[in-house]
Amino acid sequence: MSNTENKIQSDNENRKIERDSTYWRSFEELNNTPEFQKSLQTEFMSSPLREESKDEGSETDGVARRDFLKLMGASIALTSAAGCIRRPVQKIVPYNKQPEEVTVGVSNWYTSSYFDGQEGLGLLVKSREGRPVHISGNPKFPLNGNGASVKAQASLLGLYEPNRLQKPFRNLFNEKRTNKETVGVSWEELDTKVVESLQKGGVAILSGNISSPSTKAVIGDFKAGFNADHYVWEPLADDVVEAQASSYGEAVMPGFRYDKAQMIVSIDADFLGTWGPTMTNNKRFADGRRNIDKMSRLVSFDSTYSLTGANADIRFRIKPSQQFDVVMGLISEIVGKVSVSDAVKTAVAPYNGIADKLGISAEAFKKVAADLVKNQGESIVVAGGIQTKTKDSMALQVAVNYLNSILGNDGKTVVAGAGNKNLTASFAQIKNLIAKMNAGDVKTLIIYRSNPFYSLSADLGFAEALKKVPTVVYSNDKMDETAVNAHYVATDNHALETWGDSEFATGVYGIHQPLIRTMYDTRSFQLSLMTWAYMAKVGPKRIQEFETYYDYVRNLWKTEMAAKVAGGKDFESFWNGFLQEGFVGELATTGSARTFKGDVSSLKKSQSSDATFELALYPTVNIGDGTLANIGWLQELPDVVTKIVWDNYACVSIKTAEANKLREGDVIELTVGGNKLSLPTHIQPGLHDQVVAVAVGYGRTHAGDVAKGIGQNAFTLAQGGLYAGLPVEFKKTGQKIELVTTQGHDSMEGRQIVVTATNKDIQKSKDANIHRHHTWNIWSGHQYNGHKWGMAIDLNTCTGCSACMTACQSENNTAVVGKKYVMQGREMHWIRIDRYYTGDVENASAVFQPLMCQHCDNAPCETVCPVVATVHSSEGLNEQIYNRCVGTRYCSNNCPYKVRRFNWFNYAKLIEKPMHMALNPEVLVRARGVMEKCTFCVQRIKEGKNKAKIEERPLKDGDIKTACEAACPTQTIVFGDLNDENSRVAKVFKAEPRAYELLEEWYAKPSVRYQTKIKNNDQVTPKKGGGHA
Amino acid sequence: MLTKFCSTVCAAIGLSLTVFFLSGCLFQNPDGGERVGIGYNKGYAPEQPIAFSHELHVGTHKIQCQYCHNQVERSKSSNIPSLATCMNCHQQVAGKPGQETVPGHKDSDEIKKLRDAFSDGKSIEWVRVHMLPDHVSFNHQAHVGKGVSCQTCHGEIEKMAKVFQHSDLSMGWCVNCHRQPENKAPLNCTTCHQ
Repeated sequence: MSNTENKIQSDNENRKIERDSTYWRSFEELNNTPEFQKSLQTEFMSSPLREESKDEGSETDGVARRDFLKLMGASIALTSAAGCIRRPVQKIVPYNKQPEEVTVGVSNWYTSSYFDGQEGLGLLVKSREGRPVHISGNPKFPLNGNGASVKAQASLLGLYEPNRLQKPFRNLFNEKRTNKETVGVSWEELDTKVVESLQKGGVAILSGNISSPSTKAVIGDFKAGFNADHYVWEPLADDVVEAQASSYGEAVMPGFRYDKAQMIVSIDADFLGTWGPTMTNNKRFADGRRNIDKMSRLVSFDSTYSLTGANADIRFRIKPSQQFDVVMGLISEIVGKVSVSDAVKTAVAPYNGIADKLGISAEAFKKVAADLVKNQGESIVVAGGIQTKTKDSMALQVAVNYLNSILGNDGKTVVAGAGNKNLTASFAQIKNLIAKMNAGDVKTLIIYRSNPFYSLSADLGFAEALKKVPTVVYSNDKMDETAVNAHYVATDNHALETWGDSEFATGVYGIHQPLIRTMYDTRSFQLSLMTWAYMAKVGPKRIQEFETYYDYVRNLWKTEMAAKVAGGKDFESFWNGFLQEGFVGELATTGSARTFKGDVSSLKKSQSSDATFELALYPTVNIGDGTLANIGWLQELPDVVTKIVWDNYACVSIKTAEANKLREGDVIELTVGGNKLSLPTHIQPGLHDQVVAVAVGYGRTHAGDVAKGIGQNAFTLAQGGLYAGLPVEFKKTGQKIELVTTQGHDSMEGRQIVVTATNKDIQKSKDANIHRHHTWNIWSGHQYNGHKWGMAIDLNTCTGCSACMTACQSENNTAVVGKKYVMQGREMHWIRIDRYYTGDVENASAVFQPLMCQHCDNAPCETVCPVVATVHSSEGLNEQIYNRCVGTRYCSNNCPYKVRRFNWFNYAKLIEKPMHMALNPEVLVRARGVMEKCTFCVQRIKEGKNKAKIEERPLKDGDIKTACEAACPTQTIVFGDLNDENSRVAKVFKAEPRAYELLEEWYAKPSVRYQTKIKNNDQVTPKKGGGHA
Repeated sequence: MLTKFCSTVCAAIGLSLTVFFLSGCLFQNPDGGERVGIGYNKGYAPEQPIAFSHELHVGTHKIQCQYCHNQVERSKSSNIPSLATCMNCHQQVAGKPGQETVPGHKDSDEIKKLRDAFSDGKSIEWVRVHMLPDHVSFNHQAHVGKGVSCQTCHGEIEKMAKVFQHSDLSMGWCVNCHRQPENKAPLNCTTCHQ
């Protein structure tokens, strides 16, 4: 190498940007590997042909290649534009009789509700010309408020899914009772056959949790009529409710008041992500942390890297078998500080000083116990979810209940009266059912929205037992794993086509309004039961007399329910008010402490901690139990923590990976008992070294075209309803599956992007750790005489739940591109949530940051567009004009926030019918070759302004809500007018010391400001040189 | 050698064809003047399934625009009236025998089409006259609310026996009006493109 070359190289090295490694998003970034460097340099150089040749024809990318095809459509034919513009002839077909409520071009919002078997939400659903197009939370609803979970929002696509069944079916079986053929059947034929079978007796119903009083009444009537049994089972059922029954005598999932707690200890309860009413929890948790002077502390003992763990102020990594030890250890630490019986003292004595055994700092553990004692009556201890389903699950729950009772939390922060009594599902019930089926006692089994063939482990023998049932009737809207094994599929409506009601917390009733008439020849499960009872002439009069389920629901409310909640109003006005508000009843805020009837002194640990590796199965925020796996929005939504899309994987710790020479994506074969499953490895910081964590909900075989071949079914690794702590072995297979994460994309190169501070830092100075830059102006600046839109995002309340991402996708018609194209950095999300790890690499903590177009005043994108397709509006918006864009992508190159998305293909053309009906008619679908990005929901801004104008009033703060803001359960995102000095956002910009701009030193002057994330962990952030926090 | 010659000829022909074609497009698309560019459709007057005459209804009978297009004040889209709205009058009005408001179309025949469709629960498939490209959104409510009369854009509709496109609906045509200071109209791109 010549001298000159040498010099150039060293110059280049000197010029390298100084990286701050306090926050990192991937190991590649942390270590600044050559691969990472290379990926940075080629970030914008991707061409449609890159990677193509590599992938084409290879075995491993079968999935990837298929994704795109099947995802959004039937054909990948990218049509070339016709030569000259010719006017297409369009028809306008007016209504014959216009429905009163429809104004063409104006949306109506209806109250409804959503229940996924675990979480219940009050909803507002937007309807345009009679079809639902957007789902958001009902702000008035006492539980979730604004928040709508990603699943609830995405359930909209389920309505328009091409894979939905459109009529009833019958399966023909061969001698071995395996499916030979599926044939269509008429409702009359199905009803006759089913009723014949029902009349033979031995009727059983298997369903998931039922939260609707009316559905419960129908099932009750049906049971009375046919002398049937009802079994309730959910794949994600845990022992919380059962333990409540044994500890306090009432089977209830208590209402946890995270907003009233100062100290929250979670033992593998992912209450922010996947366990319990997550949106309600998010809202309450954020409420307890909004006031930074009196914010709560969250301590998490985490065996997977859960969303709750990621939000914890102090996070301990444990393995599942240690959960019970942790609780007993905590009890032993507080013995003497609160009064406990001698028997308990003796029982917990062996757990004294357990911290060392758990590999946790004893001092930190003592501090947790001390904080609990200090905040008696204002603390919460929770454990739950399938992550706690070890052999000791019940013991763990009883110990947790005891701890809450002695801390005086019961009745204050743990309110049974505000809990949900409808989550009665248990494995005991399905085991019972299987025993009955094996004994030949079940002649007809009706399965309603429960999929044991997919989500129940084989060792329980459901499949064999089912062969002994002469008639199996299945009511669901998919030909799923269980449906193909049923004799009759009485195709159910989609939830948005059915009337109903709900009771998600004792005394709080919600209405479930349909948004559309049944699109196909389907019938609700409830009406099916009613029809069969009517035909057989059995059961109470009310199940036989009504022709529709709506009549049944209304009658039930008129005759029974209204008396409880109508408060003396006449029924019609009560009913109308109910429909309008979406709910009735009040949520109990406090209760009285219940007497703890359990026995802690006899609790014994049966789970051994000897296994080298323990299995920890967990549901993810987006896929959950896998019911909605066929929805592209959910598959493409990055996992909240790992940010991986379109896959499940085996998470192992860094040390484990090093010891076993595993690299990201190496396929390992897991062996649990006799079951094997091959999965790619994901190296997860902050995981216990002896844990292998795998997400359930993937590997659906019969969910539809989107879910097919995505991941592996980890439910098969469960044993007898146990999901955690099972000994697991693994070996490398030598194969590799590329795991696709969005977190490697859009690197911000180590500048001041996220700012965190601790409570101690904040006590000293409210703007701790923010480095303010001296900036100067070379721009003349814009004049904003009318409105000037801005946004404030409080990182301190953002939990990373991702509801905003789905809301944005639904509102703005952003495309789903599939695994292969996400791999190439072509995801289309307008808002993303960056997850940064920070701290000790082995036990990293996490920070979330929602990021969308910053709508800079001095926008770098605007100055480089050669065709002026991105311009500045008089209201401070950075506007992207699709029809002017020629796709140079200069803007994207020049955007320091990396929020611009390019349409590599004509995604909208690939949307399979009738999925196009879910598109928001207010927002243009973008064509190929066009750049797009967040618009601050300009269509909503215009709608809000228009509305104010018509009502002849000035625009109020809060009139306009962007889709992300509207969906946010924690009110993290605030949008408003900066020129209105009383607006919430203007106040943040003007007076909030924690507020900072991203890349302030560039003087792009973004219209979005963030507020420091605070970790309430009593640490002090060490001072660093270089000025950057 | 021959191959090379052939390919050169082909290229030349191709090029000249392209130039010819493009120039054709350009010639048809002058800036300004009465001649209208391709795709603008000024003067477009398609045959409608019913020979409905605005001249008769608006001009002669003086029916207000918003009697039929009743949602124009409330919505960005102006609605084509439902058949029920037509039937408000045509329940009674069947058309005089033999009368032809629009030459070649017997009134009674045309009204019968309407009545039949209504009683069958069907609709009429009107051919859309005013059509903006997909990337443009126009808000009737905002314009009507500001007092812009229908005729400003749609022309003398009360004299149209058959509706035709009066304005070229080009972007320049929109912006010309928006630019007038007295109109106080917004000029942001997202006003129309979103």
